[in-house]
Amino acid sequence: MYSPRLHIAIMEPSMIIFEGLQTIICHSSLDCRVSRVERLEELTEMMKHTPVEILIANPMQFVNLEKEVKKLRKSYPTLAIAGIDFGIIHRQSMLTDISFTLYDTPEHIIHSLTRLQEKSQHPEEEKEENNHLSPREIEVLTCLVSGMLNKEIADQLHISIHTVVRHRKNITLKTGIRSQSGLTIYAISKKIVSIEDIEL
Amino acid sequence: MFHTPKTKVRPATKMAELIDANPHLLLMLQHFNIDFRVNDLTVWQLCIRQGISENLFVSIANLYNGFDIRGPQPFTRGDLLLVIDFLKSSHDFYRREKYPQISNYIRQLQENHPVREMKLLEKFFKEYFDEVLEHLDYEDSTAFPYFITLLEGRENDRPGKRYSSKEYGDHHTDIELKLQDLKNLLLMHVDIEGDLELRRKLLFALYELEFDLYIHSLIEEKILIPSGQQIEKEVNV
Repeated sequence: MYSPRLHIAIMEPSMIIFEGLQTIICHSSLDCRVSRVERLEELTEMMKHTPVEILIANPMQFVNLEKEVKKLRKSYPTLAIAGIDFGIIHRQSMLTDISFTLYDTPEHIIHSLTRLQEKSQHPEEEKEENNHLSPREIEVLTCLVSGMLNKEIADQLHISIHTVVRHRKNITLKTGIRSQSGLTIYAISKKIVSIEDIEL
Repeated sequence: MFHTPKTKVRPATKMAELIDANPHLLLMLQHFNIDFRVNDLTVWQLCIRQGISENLFVSIANLYNGFDIRGPQPFTRGDLLLVIDFLKSSHDFYRREKYPQISNYIRQLQENHPVREMKLLEKFFKEYFDEVLEHLDYEDSTAFPYFITLLEGRENDRPGKRYSSKEYGDHHTDIELKLQDLKNLLLMHVDIEGDLELRRKLLFALYELEFDLYIHSLIEEKILIPSGQQIEKEVNV
């Protein structure tokens, strides 16, 4: 399933403002999708299964929820928050990374969001263009398709189980294949292992 | 996953226009056992003709059109019995139509391209299909009968029952995962050339299956399980 890497959630009760922001974002060069959330709990719930990189919020929504917002930021350190400045809160809120007003030009808003996105990007993502497996990942994959467990792979390659898990995650990210039998087919079509090595 | 342009389904919309905008709704009609010749009936009129509650029909049609169900919906026990019929009918569709069709395409492809990966791909699909069948059998033999007893208010007939909506929710596995692997193997990795017609048919069939399975699990998660839990609460008070 293709979904853009950037996911922006907008938490703003006014439908007019939400639609306006959504239109500006969708017509910009940002490759992203936009969701609307009504309350902070809804965002927390959403983030359990879908990552959100940027939250655009009406800071009034955070009133009396400062603790919850901080907790959310702690659980998701890469989440960036942009506040909509209505001129009510004079000082830059501690809870937001940037803010913009409704009278800013679309270019200005998109520019701020783009910078925010760069900031929130995971360092590993730079490598993402390259879908080739690294030599280490190939070793892990070879062990995997021969039916070894994480613990056995760790022992064989003299690495920690934690590292094995990380390699497995990257293999799935790069190949798009999650099941072991699927990875076996992948390994054979890429001639990483020969079919004789596999018990049919 | 494939997504149609979003059109919100409303009671006053003409059914034929909705189908025109999202042909997947035909599958929904089939699962509801409604004939495709919908004349110029609106959703509301169609529901009256078929004796289906408008609330249920609109909620499910909106799932097909990409709109989530928000908050608790007052589904009646009668609605939920219909939901079970709907889910059973989709099981039938998977068992009798979709999987045999996909399986045939893979076999043909394997015969045309007798490479090792294709042999493994066929085996992969067969194993996946067996898993799905097991899941469908479990729902037909354990989960659905439990819900039917619960909905018909006969739960006292079965003293000492241990089963619950929660257990069903836990058992509810992600059967779409391997399907995605299969799609990715065909689109990105397995080295076959030509045979575009057959490969397109196979991929289309996989997308159609994926979409319907997705809606299927949404109906279970968003309608059946929460409503079942609600009824269990009422019964136990």
